[in-house]
Amino acid sequence: MKEFVLELAKQSVERGVGLGFDDVVAKVVSNEKSMVKVANSQLTVAQSWRAVNLELYLTKDRKIVLVEAPVKGKEDVERVYSRIGDYIKSVSESEMYAPLPEPSGRPLEGLVDPKIIDSMYRSPELIAEVVSAAHGEGAEKAAGTLTLDVERKALATSTGAEFYEEGTSIEVYLRAFYKDSTGHWAYGSRILDMGALKEVGRRAAYYARLVTNVVDVPPRRYDVVLSPLVVGNLIELVASAASAFAVLAGFSMFMKFERGDVVASERFSLIDDPLQKSLPGSTGFDDEGVATSTKPIIKEGRFENLLHNSKTAAVMKTESTGNAGLIMPHPWNVVIPAGDFSEEEMIRDIKDGLLINNNWYTRLQNYVEGIFSTVTRDAVYRVSNGEVVGVVRRLRIADTLTNLLKNVVGLSKSVYDIRWWEVGTPSKVPYVLVRNVNITKPTV
Amino acid sequence: MYEDVLYYAVDYGLSQGAVYVEARYHRHEGSEVVVRNGAVVGAGMMSKEGIGVRVVYGGALVFSSTTDLTREGVRKAVDKALSLARSSKPLVKWVHTLSEERVGRSKYEVLVKEDFEDVHLEDKVKVLVGVWDELPKVLREAKLTSLFEEYIEVVEEKTLVSSDGAHVESKTPRVFYWANMVLAHPQRGTLQRFIELGGSGGYEVFRSWRIRDYLEEEARNIEPVLLKGVEPPREPVDVVVGSEVVGLIVHESAGHPMEADRIWGREAAQAGESYVKPEMIGRGRIGNQNATVIDDPTIPGSYGFYLYDDEGVPARPRYIYYKGIINEPLHNRWSAAVFGTNSNAAARAMDFASEPLVRMANTYLEPGDRTFEELIEDVELGIYVKSYMEWNIDDIRWGQRYVGLESYMIRRGELAEPVLYPALEFTTKSFYSSIAAKGKELRFYAATCGKGEPAQGVPVWAGGPDVRLSRMLVGVAPK
Repeated sequence: MKEFVLELAKQSVERGVGLGFDDVVAKVVSNEKSMVKVANSQLTVAQSWRAVNLELYLTKDRKIVLVEAPVKGKEDVERVYSRIGDYIKSVSESEMYAPLPEPSGRPLEGLVDPKIIDSMYRSPELIAEVVSAAHGEGAEKAAGTLTLDVERKALATSTGAEFYEEGTSIEVYLRAFYKDSTGHWAYGSRILDMGALKEVGRRAAYYARLVTNVVDVPPRRYDVVLSPLVVGNLIELVASAASAFAVLAGFSMFMKFERGDVVASERFSLIDDPLQKSLPGSTGFDDEGVATSTKPIIKEGRFENLLHNSKTAAVMKTESTGNAGLIMPHPWNVVIPAGDFSEEEMIRDIKDGLLINNNWYTRLQNYVEGIFSTVTRDAVYRVSNGEVVGVVRRLRIADTLTNLLKNVVGLSKSVYDIRWWEVGTPSKVPYVLVRNVNITKPTV
Repeated sequence: MYEDVLYYAVDYGLSQGAVYVEARYHRHEGSEVVVRNGAVVGAGMMSKEGIGVRVVYGGALVFSSTTDLTREGVRKAVDKALSLARSSKPLVKWVHTLSEERVGRSKYEVLVKEDFEDVHLEDKVKVLVGVWDELPKVLREAKLTSLFEEYIEVVEEKTLVSSDGAHVESKTPRVFYWANMVLAHPQRGTLQRFIELGGSGGYEVFRSWRIRDYLEEEARNIEPVLLKGVEPPREPVDVVVGSEVVGLIVHESAGHPMEADRIWGREAAQAGESYVKPEMIGRGRIGNQNATVIDDPTIPGSYGFYLYDDEGVPARPRYIYYKGIINEPLHNRWSAAVFGTNSNAAARAMDFASEPLVRMANTYLEPGDRTFEELIEDVELGIYVKSYMEWNIDDIRWGQRYVGLESYMIRRGELAEPVLYPALEFTTKSFYSSIAAKGKELRFYAATCGKGEPAQGVPVWAGGPDVRLSRMLVGVAPK
């Protein structure tokens, strides 16, 4: 497969150069993937996918065209080029055009866990273990999915890049039910670790059963402990807002800030880490063939870096950070460095607050101001004088991202590899303790 | 297309012991243009093509897809599905079946007046770029700091065959446009507005939107909200909700909780469950006589248009809530079998790599008989929320929040000063029980609805009339 995808990428570039395009990038990705989904502790569907796709970037006289198509062989590459025909002539010059950079990428080795390849069509057996762990911890029923993926990626460019990487990944999440309560946990990694899988089931059940007496709380500001699932979801918004394209397109809280501005508590740093090999976003080269690197987006509370490809870098008169996206730069893996709190210490630190296990449906009123709300789901626990005293039903965090970041007062020592339905970017994040978070709920 | 390969997949699956096999060739061909502040960023061509195979074997429901459109390719896909089915045995606690249906043998196509290919790309670009020429000039004090536009045209083609006789071919062109505007003022900060427009048909649909006029009117209307918007009143007031917000509300709080697979719990770990329990269907009351919500895939020109679903079942309107009663859930053949009923043709798959799920198409609140003036004429003190940005709803589709963008005070029966970020936060029952009066004009809004794992986005319309609600407390979004 390595030779097949690499050869297709090289042939695609050669053909594009031969046809007179100025810049050509061809990325060929082969995915073999399986997924199993359970609900009410039983199988609802098992799925598998196999696909080879070509992503082609072409420029001519500063005009940019992107093409995506499935490919099986050289003849499909010809078919793609025949469709382009005169298309590019009708496109206007791109205001963001920049010549492709010289290739500097260094493909990463060691991204494959053979256990994932071997288990590709045994995913139902794996999730049965996760469900069983939840039941073992007292869950009455469980729902979730387990996905295995092996990706083979080849990149060739008209500037001479010829790179290949192969990586595996696993994503598992489970929601455990106990009486009227639920708990949730997730794991996303390049490594199939049965211990981590069973921990997903155990933690989900733990949060479903921590306490069961329901208490009511009025809408107002509280100190909250956000679990790594909530942190992963909210921080993905911040990391995505660091894409220079998001700034140019009017989708970013960083539009208001200069490098060095205080945007968060000094205890808080946020890193884009493509070299963290255990996380599924790890890679040694971006879509323009530039070497990836680990970089802070926020360092000890100060805004440090936007994420660039060569085009956004040219517009903003800086250098690529190795985060292409052929049009939009993006984070690879999101990492928040650990703090010095144990999870128990975080709870003990709260006099009047909440512990939030999970959230979903985060939407922004205004990306520039970072005004957002998100709905809690699964376990929300009332914490009073350092003790968990009851479970609270569905609340809403309605605040601004900068308020949240600036009010961080503690991070846990342990960090967790998280990826699930609401956390698309692989994340290694801790629990986070935040003061004065605005909480709302329906008024009628 | 690829009929022989599709029938081969069905026959091969049956020969291997499957009790049901469905094979769907599914292709999307499209192109897009991205424009920022009146300058082209780039253009793109997109092609997705493959075959998805769904099989019931050994009591398990399995799905597999491939981009290899040969007999060998689909045979491998079926083999992989069967392999997954075999290893699923420990988790199969009851036998998956599909409901018996009179499936279609048909072919249909959405006819266009203006084929996408007959309009030169340069002309399309000119329209998009031209928006920027006049838009900043309609603003008096605020500055337009960002205008991001994307135009997408797609032709979707499908051929579906199944072991119980379905054979449906379809061709549906669609067009979609969205824009993001950011207005800024040195003292008042920023205001942001998303606009989404979508429909089925050819380029004539895009022309009909007159996007330049549309965006200019939007900018003209929201600027006063940024410059002069006041906080909403702190006491409970009458609320008039515009059709854009009503469409979203019924999509979120009628359509989604009435998806039968959610009611059963199939989406419990993803988009969640439903406040609706099986025993409420046909009996439970969720609102007053004004609460009739319909989902209809057959509306001509709609963004969620189809005549047969992705299991071959003929489409028809579904009365989800009827005069306040929880009436008819949306079903595919899997959920219909679970509930012991028939499918109402709600099975939709995003693309060849997606299993058919229970989905909405075009969901709307049945309109009433009032003009807008009649809706507000006897409101002494209230607010009118015409459009929104932020919204969300909990995972059982009960507690929800909508934050207004273009919003106004209503004083003594007339629209008054603009209101900044009023937040409506209510439950599903309180909304449908509070509908005091409905406008007579039905409007639809395009969206892409997400569901499933892997997440599937499908085109939908959501709509309704303007609606007056009885008194409620209105919050305000934090700044």
